[in-house]
Amino acid sequence: MADQLASDKTGVDQIGVDQIGDGRRRFALTGIAPRWRKMLRDAWLHKARTLLVVLAIATGLVAAGALLDAWALVQHVTDASYRASLPVSATLQIDSVDADALAAVRALPTIAAARARRSVLATAQINGAHPSALLFALDDYSSQEIARLQPETGEWPPRDGSIVIERSSLTFSAASVGQAIALTVGDKPPQALTVSGIARDVSLAPGWMENLVYGFVSPGTLVTLGLPAGFHELQIRVRDATADRDAIRRIAYEVKTLLERSGHTVTNVDVPLPGQHIHAPQMDSLILTQGAFSLLTLLVCGFLIINLITATLASQVREIGVMKSFGAQTGQLVAMYLGFALLIGVLATLLALLPSLLIGRAYAALKGEMLNFPIDGYAIPAWAIALQLVVGALLPVIAASLPVLRGCRLSVSAALRDTGIACLGANARRQRMIGVGHIGRPLLLSIGNAFRRRQRLLLTLLVLASGGAVYLGAANLRESVSDSVGYMFSMLRYDVSLRFSSPYPPAQIEAVASAVAGVRRAETWDVARANIDFSDGTRSGVIALIGLPADSTLVEPRLIEGHSIDGSDRKNLVVSSALLKHQPGLTIGSTLALIIDGKPSSWSVIGVVESGPQKLAYTSRAALAFRSGAESATTLVIATTPRGVASQLDVTQRLRAALVASGMPVANSQRPAESQKAYEDHMLMVVQFLGVMGWVMIAVGGMGLASTMSLGVLERTREIGVLRAIGARHRDIMLMLQVECMVIALLGWLVSIPLSVPMSSALGDAFGRIMFELPPNYMPNGEGVVRWLAMIVVVSILACAWPALRATRISAATALSYE
Amino acid sequence: MPASATVQPRNVSDPLIVLRAAGKTYTTAAGEFHALADIDMEIRRGEFMTIIGQSGSGKSTLLNLLAGIDRPSSGEVFVDGVALHTLSERELSIWRGRAVGIVFQFFQLLPTLTVAENVMLPMDFCNRWLARARRARALSLLDSVGIADQADKFPSALSGGQQQRVAVARALANAPPILLADEPTGNLDSRSSRALVQLLRERADAGETVILATHDRSVIEQASRSLTLADGRIVDIEASARG
Repeated sequence: MADQLASDKTGVDQIGVDQIGDGRRRFALTGIAPRWRKMLRDAWLHKARTLLVVLAIATGLVAAGALLDAWALVQHVTDASYRASLPVSATLQIDSVDADALAAVRALPTIAAARARRSVLATAQINGAHPSALLFALDDYSSQEIARLQPETGEWPPRDGSIVIERSSLTFSAASVGQAIALTVGDKPPQALTVSGIARDVSLAPGWMENLVYGFVSPGTLVTLGLPAGFHELQIRVRDATADRDAIRRIAYEVKTLLERSGHTVTNVDVPLPGQHIHAPQMDSLILTQGAFSLLTLLVCGFLIINLITATLASQVREIGVMKSFGAQTGQLVAMYLGFALLIGVLATLLALLPSLLIGRAYAALKGEMLNFPIDGYAIPAWAIALQLVVGALLPVIAASLPVLRGCRLSVSAALRDTGIACLGANARRQRMIGVGHIGRPLLLSIGNAFRRRQRLLLTLLVLASGGAVYLGAANLRESVSDSVGYMFSMLRYDVSLRFSSPYPPAQIEAVASAVAGVRRAETWDVARANIDFSDGTRSGVIALIGLPADSTLVEPRLIEGHSIDGSDRKNLVVSSALLKHQPGLTIGSTLALIIDGKPSSWSVIGVVESGPQKLAYTSRAALAFRSGAESATTLVIATTPRGVASQLDVTQRLRAALVASGMPVANSQRPAESQKAYEDHMLMVVQFLGVMGWVMIAVGGMGLASTMSLGVLERTREIGVLRAIGARHRDIMLMLQVECMVIALLGWLVSIPLSVPMSSALGDAFGRIMFELPPNYMPNGEGVVRWLAMIVVVSILACAWPALRATRISAATALSYE
Repeated sequence: MPASATVQPRNVSDPLIVLRAAGKTYTTAAGEFHALADIDMEIRRGEFMTIIGQSGSGKSTLLNLLAGIDRPSSGEVFVDGVALHTLSERELSIWRGRAVGIVFQFFQLLPTLTVAENVMLPMDFCNRWLARARRARALSLLDSVGIADQADKFPSALSGGQQQRVAVARALANAPPILLADEPTGNLDSRSSRALVQLLRERADAGETVILATHDRSVIEQASRSLTLADGRIVDIEASARG
């Protein structure tokens, strides 16, 4: 037999059939060493409990995996689609781009490619609607060196008299290939263009989000629309693909200097963040915030694992002692129990993988829509899937490590002396402490049972309370967003705004408007586009500068600090808080150098107003008169007598007709109520994305509660048997467990309320990074707290249903013989 | 055997087990409790020895010291030349797996393993025997205790006597030279008790050292020597007619 004493770790034995005492057969585990059979059968013995934890972890993994997949896919597509399109590094607004200027710029060693473009704002007429349109004409559509366009259907490039619609504005425009669109530029007569194709420009913010119809036309078509020939934008791509924004800005200003030396006038230099789509930072913030919450979900899943493993080890202390008594080493037992955790992780990962891939792909598609990238045809990167597999499998192992090490290090003698759960004395003390003289014994027992395993109770409470805190935080955020958007639009006291393509005398516009039936009050504004001219020669992005009449009543921004504007022609500004945030050096009393219509001027900041996320400034209409020598207006706002939508639209139609008849065609018109709805929906979509993590955590918490109750029933099998032996009925047992479960759930609810304060703050900060800063709103609102209470009661009833049913199935005899 | 273990030179005629002034003290809420004190004893190879005494006399504690489950608070314990009192927990585990087989009063079979698997488990943990030979050895051991036909059943399907036989087979799995049993007949009917004692007697006759803690008079009669404990001290060592 000595030869058989050789070590052979790779060999396995063969057992075909397992048969248990009552004659039923269990699954055979042929070819698996006994210690691993024990691990598998232990898991199978408590399969419902194990499955609950597997499902809870799978839920967390689906959420985290889907976000990871979406992020990885979008990053991959950003590289493959956006960066591969060789995006524009900088755009210079110039009086005119001629061949010499283009050649000179292209000859610069730092420039990889340059092109001339013209952008024109127009009004489209499609199917009775009047959406704004942004038309682009390029000098060379065949160039593949800069901002490549991707033709999708129909003709490419656009020929004279036709328009190619950018794909992201297709739904918004309701246009289709072959259809005619009437386009009006300024006060020129409308021209019908045929939609000849669809193309994608991945550098544009989606048309459906910007409420714009993007169209590509030939330079000849612009002439047909009544515009002079020529281009006024010079777009460059720098040679160094790794150059950062500052480096690109330096190169762009070298180009500006070069052009100005050759007699051109450059009015603006725009340098976007290199390598990033215009919406990418917002999207990344959103997904990273969700990612942080998904990590929190995985953390609470770890708590469930700790509960499960701790309970498993507690019920097997004596078995551990026995195994050690015949030679099992701590390391072998640790491997066995961590193997159990690994099994849970692998099962959860396999369960989560497909849903996370599908949800991740769908989420990436949505994100792609927001970024204007097509994700079809791209696969989720293999590294993302591999990472999910590794994290999913190892998460339970990591969570279980400490309790497993603690449990398996127990000395043999201590393990063999284990007497199971023995804390009735402590329980009685607790009951005395809480002074429950008038509560019946069964109810008292239920309340005491809830506190019996304090570590498990604490972890279960943390799981439930975290979900509740995110839910309450999201409810707070939703309320804040609605309030902020409502507040932002409550400043606007008009019903309709109409924008002109060209400026007209205010009195002339107001006279026409006042004569239209249904117009209660009319007010004209002069809206200009301004750039801050910094001392280092660079300029800010575009700021809307709104010139109001002296007696303005149709917009009332809330003054936070300083003074309001008056009707004088002094160059005073009241800036929005959003602008202040982006220009930290700006304070009341600052002097601001602005470039308006290419003309420099100096302005004084006299006040700050709250006006939501918009970067704008108010001044008097008279102060803007310096541009043309007389006051003019580009926007008409009206308050109507009738309040209904149909009536307001009717008034608008008649007003447009009257203005056209007076030689003042309207480029577009808008009702703030419509904008508010669209804007709020847009904002709330982000809140929903954040809030969905709360639902995931509540689902995980519910499963955790069910798992805790199941462990409690198992551990108290003998006790339940005693209760049944002394006459407890099914309903008494069920009621006791339901009360115990409800006590835990209500404690979770209670803990979640204070926990929602920092959670609201975190969600508010996250929203601020993604969209705009909100006024602090940390206190949980009453309605949300009551809704969460109702939810947790339902969760508690559902979580306890199965363990309670199981408890009633335990016969007194079986229970009393349970060890 | 662990490299760091203190091993005394020995030959076949040397006693297998030597205790020198061994004592065990537990610290409890009520103060120190001396479970064993000044135990000096020697046990030879192939002895069938019983340890008797009232409840709380220190029988189980003494067995635990011999099994390397507990360490003495004072004194020394040598088994086959190995100084158990100097070994770490890990070294004790390895030593225990090869040197002793333990039979518990309440059998302590693992409920989710079949009878054969329970017997194979010590071989698995101690990496003894070729893996493919373990089942055959388990079946052979089960056959030797008369329950080979129950090999693929779970313990819950067996009677108490049958479970204790499985426990004996499991204790013999790694062919240890020492078999320790704590009240092995305490939960058995008289017929099962007799059969079990016969089985243990046969192991002793086969050369293994068998040490039992018991109250059972019929077991004591089978022993070659009986050691009586009272209040943690040896009060008598008596050689029986069998000895």
